[in-house]
Amino acid sequence: MPNKPLLLRVLDILSIILIPAALVLILFFTPEEATMGAVQKVFYFHVASAWAGMLSFVVAAGAGIGYLTTRDFKWDWLSLSAVEVGVVFGLVAIASGMIWAKPIWNVWWVWDPRLTTTAIMELLYLTYFILRSGLNTMETRARLAAVYAIISVITVPLTFLSIRLFRTIHPVVIAPTGSADFNMSPRMLVAFFASLVVFTILLADLIWNRYRLAALQAKINQGGN
Amino acid sequence: MIEITDLNKKFNTQSVLKDLSLTIAGGEFCILVGANGAGKTTLLRILAALVRPDSGEVLLEKEPLFADPSLRRKIGYLGHQSLFYGDLSAWENLRHYARLYNLSNSEEIIRKCITQSGLTPHQHKPLRTYSRGMQQRLALERALMHSPSLLLLDEPHSGLDQDAANGLDERLRQLHLKGCTLLVAAHRPQRLLQSATHAAWLREGQITDKVTLDQLSDIPGLDSYIREVK
Amino acid sequence: MTGFRRYLQTVWAIFRKDVQVEWRGRQGVPVMLVFSLLVVFLFNFALQLSPQLQSGLASGLLWVTLAFAATLGLNRSAALERENDALNGLMLAPVDRSAIFFGKTLSNLASTLLVAFILMPTISLFFGQNLLKPALFLVVILGTGAYTCLGTILSALSIQSRTRDVLLPVLLYPLALPILIAASEASRGILSGQTLGELQNWLYLLLACGILFTATGLLLFETILEE
Repeated sequence: MPNKPLLLRVLDILSIILIPAALVLILFFTPEEATMGAVQKVFYFHVASAWAGMLSFVVAAGAGIGYLTTRDFKWDWLSLSAVEVGVVFGLVAIASGMIWAKPIWNVWWVWDPRLTTTAIMELLYLTYFILRSGLNTMETRARLAAVYAIISVITVPLTFLSIRLFRTIHPVVIAPTGSADFNMSPRMLVAFFASLVVFTILLADLIWNRYRLAALQAKINQGGN
Repeated sequence: MIEITDLNKKFNTQSVLKDLSLTIAGGEFCILVGANGAGKTTLLRILAALVRPDSGEVLLEKEPLFADPSLRRKIGYLGHQSLFYGDLSAWENLRHYARLYNLSNSEEIIRKCITQSGLTPHQHKPLRTYSRGMQQRLALERALMHSPSLLLLDEPHSGLDQDAANGLDERLRQLHLKGCTLLVAAHRPQRLLQSATHAAWLREGQITDKVTLDQLSDIPGLDSYIREVK
Repeated sequence: MTGFRRYLQTVWAIFRKDVQVEWRGRQGVPVMLVFSLLVVFLFNFALQLSPQLQSGLASGLLWVTLAFAATLGLNRSAALERENDALNGLMLAPVDRSAIFFGKTLSNLASTLLVAFILMPTISLFFGQNLLKPALFLVVILGTGAYTCLGTILSALSIQSRTRDVLLPVLLYPLALPILIAASEASRGILSGQTLGELQNWLYLLLACGILFTATGLLLFETILEE
């Protein structure tokens, strides 16, 4: 196995440095939100991990298309890695949301459409692994997993569209000026976008590392060196 | 009729067919011989366009097989399974296939198929009541009902009793005389030696030899293989 | 004859074959029907429904029951093609293999609609709310249409798995979420007296799902079936 590519090492180091840096930014740089208080600071990582989760599912579907057109297993490894990492980010988003909900809504969970659909989408991507585990040959596994990842990415926006038609109690952050549920101060915005960037870097780093693991596994299974 | 070049097919990264090339001219009656697991079934399924190869080219009458679905009309395929619905009768199953192939005068063709397979007394019973041999006989007629010019048969004798097997040999001989091209995979190929014209030997995913039956003795391994496999 | 007519005839042939198998064996629709009636009665027990609650739940009950019952039909319809490798027989047909998708979707839709049309008066009878409204029929047709499209695609995936008997619902329900949300919301709206105009967003969403999943089947079905 070749050594880690330089860019991946850079990403590793960047992730290790930037995550605590973002945390410092959030804890000490941003002001406390007027009504919610300190717990509002969960919001930065909450949105960032939700974003990273979504992005990785798009990557998985893109890799699925890549596999179906080239039939090169590398795309399958990428797709699998992206779903695996995406599921973890999704769990982080849900858990951090619950931590926020407890003091604000006074319960860990409410059956709000937004929350419910997010949870079901998490299950949707867990099913991806169930599907893979039941398929016998590598080729069938890669082909059908790719199809499933593509169909999933078609469904997710439809689900989001459907909950837009509901009245939700989940705060709406990204909206035309004036209609958002709370307005961020400039410092909040800095921390917000910084979190998004940091989580995107972390996502790329994790997917890439997981991809290398998949490549190594394939090599072992082939009995090569 | 068929030209196969550099065909590759892997299952679980294990090569079943490896750079396989084979040409079969129109009107040939070719026996495909090879040990169990040599890839005979996979090759026939690829030629029937049921399995897509990883790489390589299959030309049917100079046209790429996988590019045009309507080419499949020229192919008759008989596999290990009957491809029939157990709840439907012989008549209904054949009518379904007549519709899939879009046959005109289908009634007449179906009647002929059923007569030919000797199942007229049973034609309205559900297929699940048929024996293995009866299903196999009907399945052969199904493969022939749209008058294909290329016939792909995978172990056609399996499940047949002695009489039916002899009948099948005669049927294949007649089809060959009518100009049909045949590729028949047979684990025990001796019984086809009288009617076939060529033999192709599939070993480790490749066609290692293809000869006319007169030249069989030129390839000692193949000759003894065909005559000794029991 | 043009290629397109041949294509439609193949779709029609597959549909007729499924209807005939169902007529001979009667192993799909009756099972779906009895199952959905059982669900309706069990729900009533399990949730200890008071009369006021009952009428509010009618639309949700209709869609949950239909979603469950359709899974049985889809599984049965896919299993039919596994027996004797009959699916390979369909794949031999000299037309594009998306015809198989449309043929199977059509027969799955027919059996699910049949169950729905029996279920609607049944729920009306037992839950004291009239479900027999033209607008609701429209929603049921749109909803089951999109649902069986998606279900047919996924059943072609699940039959290739070792866990085929249990896999389909797990694949189908999360992906069918937008369909089920839109269909049950539109139904609830209709039952509470809203007009179709007021509910047009939900109807458009159902239509969008139907179109997207039809396109998916058209483009990907051959890829799903190939070995």
